[in-house]
This record gives sequence, C-alpha cells and structure tokens, in this order.
Amino acid sequence: MAVTGAQKRVIVVGGGLAGLAGTVRLVESGLKVDLFSVVPVKRSHSVCAQGGINACNEVARQQGYSEYEHFDETIYGGDFLADQHPVLEMANWAPKIIDLLDRMGVPFNRTSEGYRDLRLFGGSLFKRTHFAGATTGQQLLYAMDEQVRRHEAAGDVTKYEHWEFLSPIIHDGRCVGIVAQDIRTMQIRAFRAEAVVMATGGCGLIYGKSTNSVMCNGAAAARCYREGAYYANAEMIQVHPTAIPGADKLRLMSESARGEGGRVWVPAIKRADGTWGPHPRSGQDPKSIPDNERYYFLEEKYPKYGNIVPRDIATREIFDICVNQGMGVGNQNQVYLDLTHRDKDYLQRKLEGILEIYEKFVGEDPYTTPMRIFPAVHYSMGGLWTKFVKGTYNPPKPLPKHVSGKRAPINAEVGQGMAYGDPANAMTNIDGLYAFGEVNFAYHGANRLGANALLSCIFDGLFCGVGVANYVRDGAPSKAPSKDLPQGAYDGAVERETARMKKLISAVDLGKAADEATNPYVIGRELGVEMTEACTVVRTGPRLEQCLQRLGDLRARYNRLTLADAGGWTNQSLSYARALGDMLDLSDAVARGALERKESRGAHYRPDYKDRNDAEFMKTTLARRESDGSAHVEFIPIDASLVEPTARTYGKKDDSKPAPTPPTPGSTGVPSRPVPTTVGSGV
Amino acid sequence: MSSAETTKPQSFFEKNHLLLRRLHSLTGIVPIGVFLIAHLVTNSSILWGKVGMRQAGHDMTMVQGGVTYFQKEVQWINEQVPHLLLIEIILWTALAYHSILGFYYARTGRTNVTSYAYQSNWRYTLQRISGYIGILFIIYHIGTLRWGWTFLVPGGATWSHEFAASTLALALRGGEDFTAAGVAVSLFYLICVSLLVFHFANGLWTAAITWGLTISQSAQKRWGYVCAGLGAGLMLAAWSAVVGFATLSPAQARDFEKKYHEKYGGPAAVEKLGKPATGPSMNPSTSAVRESVPVQGQ
Amino acid sequence: MSSTTPTAPSVAPKPGTRTIRIRVKRCEGPGKPERWEEFTLQVSAGDGTNVIAALQRIAAKPVTVEGKNTIPVAWDSGCLEEVCGACTMVVNGKVRQSCSALMDTIAPNEGDVVTLEPMSKFPVIRDLVVDRSRVFHNLKRVKAWVPVDGTYDLGAGPKESPETQETRYVLSTCMSCGCCLEACPQFTKQENPETWDSAFLGAHAISQARLFNMHGTGKQLEKERLEALAGPGGVDDCGNAQNCVKVCPKRIPLTESIGAMGRAVTIHAVKKLFTLR
Repeated sequence: MAVTGAQKRVIVVGGGLAGLAGTVRLVESGLKVDLFSVVPVKRSHSVCAQGGINACNEVARQQGYSEYEHFDETIYGGDFLADQHPVLEMANWAPKIIDLLDRMGVPFNRTSEGYRDLRLFGGSLFKRTHFAGATTGQQLLYAMDEQVRRHEAAGDVTKYEHWEFLSPIIHDGRCVGIVAQDIRTMQIRAFRAEAVVMATGGCGLIYGKSTNSVMCNGAAAARCYREGAYYANAEMIQVHPTAIPGADKLRLMSESARGEGGRVWVPAIKRADGTWGPHPRSGQDPKSIPDNERYYFLEEKYPKYGNIVPRDIATREIFDICVNQGMGVGNQNQVYLDLTHRDKDYLQRKLEGILEIYEKFVGEDPYTTPMRIFPAVHYSMGGLWTKFVKGTYNPPKPLPKHVSGKRAPINAEVGQGMAYGDPANAMTNIDGLYAFGEVNFAYHGANRLGANALLSCIFDGLFCGVGVANYVRDGAPSKAPSKDLPQGAYDGAVERETARMKKLISAVDLGKAADEATNPYVIGRELGVEMTEACTVVRTGPRLEQCLQRLGDLRARYNRLTLADAGGWTNQSLSYARALGDMLDLSDAVARGALERKESRGAHYRPDYKDRNDAEFMKTTLARRESDGSAHVEFIPIDASLVEPTARTYGKKDDSKPAPTPPTPGSTGVPSRPVPTTVGSGV
Repeated sequence: MSSAETTKPQSFFEKNHLLLRRLHSLTGIVPIGVFLIAHLVTNSSILWGKVGMRQAGHDMTMVQGGVTYFQKEVQWINEQVPHLLLIEIILWTALAYHSILGFYYARTGRTNVTSYAYQSNWRYTLQRISGYIGILFIIYHIGTLRWGWTFLVPGGATWSHEFAASTLALALRGGEDFTAAGVAVSLFYLICVSLLVFHFANGLWTAAITWGLTISQSAQKRWGYVCAGLGAGLMLAAWSAVVGFATLSPAQARDFEKKYHEKYGGPAAVEKLGKPATGPSMNPSTSAVRESVPVQGQ
Repeated sequence: MSSTTPTAPSVAPKPGTRTIRIRVKRCEGPGKPERWEEFTLQVSAGDGTNVIAALQRIAAKPVTVEGKNTIPVAWDSGCLEEVCGACTMVVNGKVRQSCSALMDTIAPNEGDVVTLEPMSKFPVIRDLVVDRSRVFHNLKRVKAWVPVDGTYDLGAGPKESPETQETRYVLSTCMSCGCCLEACPQFTKQENPETWDSAFLGAHAISQARLFNMHGTGKQLEKERLEALAGPGGVDDCGNAQNCVKVCPKRIPLTESIGAMGRAVTIHAVKKLFTLR
C-alpha cells in the first residue's frame, strides 16, 4: 500500500483480460501497478468468453490467409465503422499474442502432431480461431491472472480486489488518480497515480438480462463519461444470436457450436411457391420432424457462409423467423441449434464446456436433442472514445481491393497500423486516462466478429500498455509527478463521492423497502425491459423517442429512490443503487445514438432507414454527457484510409426479398469473397 | 500482504514435515501392519490349527488341533524367534510413533459426514475413530495380557504363553464359563479388532495415494479391491480368533495343552528343536498352570 | 406454506406454480450474531429460477415470511453460468455453485424449503458473502504460474500432445470457487492469515501444482512446488476423504492430482536423499 517514492505507479481499473494484460506489460516497463477490481480478478467477465481467439496461423496462411485478411474481415464484419489503422495493427499482432499465450501455458487444443488446433468461426472462410475447449476466455484470463499473481508475489502489483471505482481524479485536465471504495468496509479514499487505465468491460446489464456477468453494468465507464470522457458508438450493441433463455441471465451458447457444425432450423412446411410456413407440430419432439420439414433458414439464405454468418445477421434472421414470421419453435421466441448429427466424442472434446452449461441450466441433453436458443445482448462495440496514432502504412488511392485467399498487399510488420509506443494510443480525451478492452470503442465498428474480443483485450494490454509507460516516462507525469500535486485535488474528489453516497444512504427507508416505485432493483428491472424492447435487434425512431421519454421517467423515480440498507458494511444495495444512476446515463447515450443514427449498419438496424448511409453515417457517434445526464450526440469522421467500403452481404442468396442488411446499389455482393476450395463452406 | 518469499524459521516438525508424515504412513504398514497380519493369522489358528497339525502328521479334533497348533506357534514365537526383544522394541516404538502422530494428525481435521455422507468420507471418519479406539484397545490388550493388569480382566486371569489358548479363553470369557462381563470383553475384542483391521486395510489404500502408487481413479479403485480383499481376509481371521477363543472351553484347552507339554513340552520340546532354552520364558510349565488355574469360582 | 403468505396476499397462485420457502442464514458482519430469515417465493416448473434469481427477487421485495421488511440479503455472484466461481454457497447443507442450483431440482414440491448458508471455512463478510483470499494465497504458495520471460514476442510455446492438453485443460478449468475446500475435513477455517502458510493447501492448489508441473516451461519451478507440497500443509496433509472430487463443479480429477503429486513428492524426496549437496 505504501507508495514507494522512487517507482512510479499506474492504476489499472478492472482485472479482466485487458486489465491483466496491461498490468503485466506495465510492470515489465518498470512501473508499479495498483490493480482495482470489484471482484477477485480471476472472476472477471472474460471467463465467459467461450469460442476462441482469432489469429492468422501457418496452416491458414498456406491456404492463402493472412493477417491482412483478418484485418479486412474485421473491418467488413464491423460494417466499415471502425477506424481502420488500429484494426490493422491488432490483426498483425494476433499471431504474436497466440504465441505468447501458448508460452504462458494456455491449454490450446492440439492436433495429433502437437500443434495448436483451429476451428472455423463466424465471418471467415478460413480456420483461424484458436481455442481451449469451449472456455477459451477462462483459460486466457487464468494465464494472465497467473502472471499477475507472479508479479504480485514479487511485490510489483498491489491488488485492490473488492474495491469499486467511483471516479477518475482530474487535475489540470489530466487524470492523476482515482477515488475508490472498499465495498466491504465502505471506506472511500483517493489513490494517486501517474496514469489510469480503465479496463472495465461492457455494459450489458443496462439490458437487465444479457449474456454478461452481474458486474458488467458499465458504471465505471459511465463515471468517466460523467467526468468528461467521450463515449463513442454507444448504440452499437451486439446481440448474440444463440443464447439460452434463463430467469436470471441469458447464458451464451458459443458461436463455436455453429463453427463445429451446428445447424440452425425451425420446424416448417414448405409451400408450393417455395416459401416456408409455420409447422403444425412445432414445439413437439424435434426428432419427430422429418428433414424436409426442417427449415434451415441460414443455410438457405446464405449458401456460402451458411450457419456461420456473422452475429448481427444470424440474430436478425432468427428474430425475423420468430417475431415476424411466427415460425419460432412452439411459436415461442426460440429456434433449434442442432448438433445431434455430430459425433458425441467429437463434441465432447471440442464443446463439452458449453454443452454442459446447456444441460445444467435447461435440463436437456444437447447431444441427443436440439438446443433451443434465442438472441441475447452480448457485447458493446461502443465504449469510451480513444485516440490512436496512425502507423506507417498509407496506401495510395485507389485503395487496394483484397480478394480473399489472395496475396495481401502488405506484410505484418509492427507499427504499420498504429505507431508503436505512442502515448496517445488508447488514451481517452482526458490526458492520462486510458481505456483498454471492451470498455473502449476502437476495433469492432458496428459489429464484432466472433473470437475477436479476446484478441482486442490482450492487444490493448500489450500494445497500448507500452504507450502508457511512455506517457508516464516522457509525458506530463515526468514534469509534475502525482505525488507533488496538491492534496486538495484528491480530498475534493473524495468529498464529492462521499456526498453522493450520503445522499443515497439518506434515502434509506426500511418501511418503503418493498415500494416498487422507488426500489432500485425494480427500477433496474424496468430499465432492462425497456432497453431490450427499444434498443436491440430492431430499432425504430418512434420507439426510441418513447424509450428516451421512459428513461426520463425512470430517472425521476431514481431521484426519489429509497434504499433498504443503511449499513456501513458491505452495503450491496448502495453499490447497486449508485450504479443504477450510471446505467441510466449510458442507456440514454445508447438510445440517443440509436435515434440519431438514421441508417442501418452492423448491429444497428432501423427498419425506417434500412440502408447503410456511408455519406452521412460512416462516422463515429460521439456522446458527451449533459449536466442532466442526457447525452449530446454528434458524428465525427473515421479513418477509412485503408479499405474502401463495400456492401456487406456475406453472399446472401435471395436479394429480391428484404434483407436484414441490404446491399448497397450496384454491388453484387459476392465477387470479392470466393470460397477457398480447401476449407469449404463450413456447414 | 505477506510475500510468498518470506521465510520464517521453521520448527523441527515443520522442517521434517514430510519425513514425519511418511514415517507415520510407513510404520502403519511395516512393522505394524505386518505384525497385525502375523498376529491374526497365528491367533486364528485356533480354528484352523487342525489342518496345520494334520499336515504335520497329527490327526486331531478341531479343538485339540487348534489348541495344539496355537500353542506350538506361540511357543515358537516366544522361544525361538531370534532377536525377539529387538523386534519388540521396534514394534513398540513404531506403535507409539504411529499412535501419537496419528492422534495429532487426526486432530487437524474436522469430520463432516453429516453433510457429506460419501462412502470415502465415512472411511475417513472411521479411520480416525478406529485409530482412537485402537490405541485404547491395544493398551488394554497388552496391559491385561502382558503386564498383568488383572484388575481389568473379569475373572482376573493372567495370560501365559505356555498355556496360551486356555488362558486367553479365560480372559475372554471372564472365567471357565461365560460371564456377562466376559461377553462384554469378547464383544469389545470383536469390535476393536474389526476396527483395527479396517484401519489397516483402509490405511493401506490411502497410503497408496499418499505415496503416489495409485494415481488414476481406476487404479485407486483396483487397489481398493485389493485392500478390501485383504481386509476381508484379515477380518475373517480376526473374527475366527475372537470367536474361536471366546467359545473355547478353558478346561478342555488346558487338557490339550498339558498333553502338548507332556509330549513335546518344556525343555523336551526345545531340545527336540535343538536349541538351548533361555530367557524368562522358561518358567516351569507347572508354575504357569498353577498361576492360571485357580480362577475365581463361579 | 399456504398461499396466504404476506408476500403474495392478492395474487392467487397460477396453476403450475408452487410456493417454496427460502431460509437464509444472515449475519451483518464479522463478529455479529447470526440469525435465520425466511422468505417465500412463487415459482413454476420450467421457469429456470435458480438460487440467484430467487435472491434477486427477494432483493426487489425484501419482506420476510412474517411480513417484516428487511435488508436485502448480501451475496456473491458473477457469471451465473458456473465458470467464474463467485457464487459458492452452502445450499441445503452442501456446498455448490448457487447459480446452477435450480429450484425445480432442489425444491420441486409445494412448501419445499431451501436453506442458504455462507461457506463455513472462510470468514463471513456479510450474509452469504465470505472472504476467500486464502484460496488465492495458496496459489502463490505453489507458484501456480509459468515463469515466462515476459510478454515479448519470442515464438511459440512448447509443443504438446493432445493427451497432455486434455489432461491439463481439465485441471486448468479450476475456478478457485472453494467447493473442494468447504467439503474437505482437513481444510479448516483459519482466522489468522499468519497460519495460512502452514495450514493445509487444499485440493485446488495441489491440482494447480500438478497442472504447472505438466507444462514444458512450468516445469522449471517443479522443485519449488514440490518443496511446498512436501512442507507443512502440503499434499501429505490430505486425509483422502475424497469429498473434493465429489463436490467439484468442474469435475476436476482432484484425487488423481493428489495421487500424482504424492508420487512426485515421493520421487523428489528420494532423489534429494540420494543427492549429495
């Protein structure tokens, strides 16, 4: 706890993959790290990532794949919303990151010869996804956790587990520390640091039920946003197509289930005109449905990618089948994800972890009975707005058009995408305040490709961590170290947070504990329902306006909140109630971004603006918080200097029918992505 | 936060933790376990001695065969086994070590069979219970039969190695005929030897994990069958011995023992085996009879 | 419990629903007295209500069976899909992950009672929340990490056979939830952190030592790990009750790890005995 005078300290908030990777990198740069996390870092939400981590590899490379194609896929998958240079750098680093994880002991699945095994994943025709069973995120997190524990044992890392981040401390426009609260003793105190790295993940909890863990409420990001940090692309929320409906959360059924051959279908009757209609026995024993009465709608509509179309597309198709066409299994919001045609041994080896979850929480055997799944909120592509410094690659116009499986225009040298070691990389608009991993908006544009999240987390930690170290060494902290700053700046921040807490505690009224109008848990539940209805798969202008209005109502109720616990010890009600205010802030940014973005792109689908509108909206949505908590939204240009935007069709067959994301006029959709003969269509 | 590198000065027990633990495990098998096997096999001969005698060319009734064979065995052990004292010292030391450390080790755990009623957990619990009771039993067993704690023997009989079966039967029965206290002693023996046999068999099974002989669950299972088989065999021997002696008529046994001594007994038997008689075990057989015969009348 | 409980006075039970009782052992903080509180809950078959969902519903309406308003119960949870290890509790007398404890399984009938208690081997923080720092501390004792030369790009790690990978993977799914420790009769509560280094490590740490000894680079610390396992609180303190393997939610072959480490320690000790120093 004692600040060693000689060594400079950096605070990392969040102990998931990004935070831990950053911590290790910072320690290696000679810094001491204070690591804050509301949960023991080993329990961070990264454990939930299942399918794998993408990287170009030798096998794929010799089939024509390249880091560049990984980059190209990620841009295309993100529907051309991401700034392109950072994505290029990330794709180039991916193979190095896999090697590193391998050295750290991650038990990646192996081929019979002992090399790392690969699997197919959404959005690619090449096997480029490395995996450790069906709990890759868990394995990666543990590898990083172990390294951090090693540094902790050596005294270079001090963990503050069960501490909640309350606010960044900003002095002279620069982040110089944080205020945090021990959620056991409820002590609030300030911590000095030369730089602060936010690595606090996503905000799925604003939707109530999602695939996220219970701490993924976005509060930490919202608290930076409240203090002036910009929040970008808030409306880009990924809804994962395959989740298991549940009472407390929607459990993820990994995309790897489709990558390993899972087929999505509903019972249906084929009409004379070739279209499909509801099946009279839908919902009854799926095994009794003959093959010609099974509508494999993804395979039929997307013959090239089939079941492994990207998430936003699969989600909308499933949503369409259930909600619009009334063909959900048993006319409920569910479709079959079927693995029963695959060999049980094979499935056990590759997918046991996730199939076990299904069995445990649904009580049906996925090896013999098709799983029933439905889309669920999964990932926030948006997040704290961060800067980057372009690397050396700047192709002349016209930009090179990459053809899948063909030679890449450049190799994968370091520094072509982003300037290595530049302190500005991953820095928010506040000096010294960084954002790593899901909490930033940098890599995934309007839709994240499966198995790219783990990559972006570790990449941020390793690549941008160096920039943080350089900032501490050469930037503002070298001239005015945090230890020399006036105590008043820190005391003031503590006072503000203490006052906030006192206001909430003063609202304790055990007599009104069960009053639904002012119970924080009830308000939170209603927020979740509202956000899920208005801001997920289908978003319309009027509904979004209504949503914003309801958010206002909820905020009014929030301001009259009553708590049932005045306890000065492990007061979970207080933590929840405080976070609820932050969730309302973020919800407003999401809804307003969705309302203002009058187009359809990636995860953001507006039936009232069905087309992608590159001219007006191939731009980052930038939200700034107004004093009343509402978001002020504007659109700022992106860096699209590497790849020309094309229609994002994934080879959809039937262009005459309204498509979830229709091709832009003039594009045939298919030619730039031929099917490599070595891989097949993945079905 | 204490660093993992901190080295505090370690006590003797901490420094030699593994050695002490493994010695505890080892002593349970050698010499204690080996002795237990020998002891139970010998004592169960009260039931199967007839077979042994027949092989030696003597056709006897079951009772006479048992008594005679047992007498022969006991006398051999007491008079012919070399370095008996050394063996006894080793055995005593091992037993003391195993008991004391075992008691201490058992105290480090808290049984929880009420919550987790798994078979292996029951065995864990029983291993400790059998250890505690076993210590008490062994003290009673040796105290009464070797150290002359006759006040703890109903009927007050003293065991004599020259009238091995009959005096043992007296001690178990509480007299020439069963007394209520005798039944209690016999039952106590039956329970305690059963517990000790379990303790040994189960200990053998856990030792294989401790030493790393069995790793996979199937290996542990296979070894479990072996230990269970051995335990069952020893259990049979133990029950045979207790039942055999408890149901033995001391008077009848004494007759057979006298016959034995007349035929091979005393110095004659020893001479026959070609070794000089030495040590305290060479009391005249008559005196032993005299000491053991006057049992308090019923 | 009848349908006239104060919690649901106006709602007539829907067909297919049942009322169950949740008994929670409560404690406001370290050193504070323990007490039991009981709540009723309407659930229906197939609705997927688990212990966490039940606690969430109680938090939204914290009224006891007696109709008394109370403070919402404090509990630990994370992923809710049995992969983070946070929500370990003693449910109906047995330790487990509470997220996977479905009411349809543990309280299938009208009036069934579900008891929730904090783990008993760790200090209670509040209600169902305990302090499991010792679990992580014990990972340090066995140096449960691969000593890599930093995060630089130095090429791939050691090649590995699928068999080794499969063994390591299962061991590596340990989420430090503490179930094996709660059920272990040899792992006892240690209030004072100073005794942690000599108290029993527990199955999870022994298994992690095995995991890292199996890795090409992790092996470099093998001797240090075996020394820790041979020392006080090491592998020999295991009493082979084998509860650990039965309560492990990840079905990790913990007893095999204990056997394997027993063997490694034996060999290590013999080697040491015959090596001049």
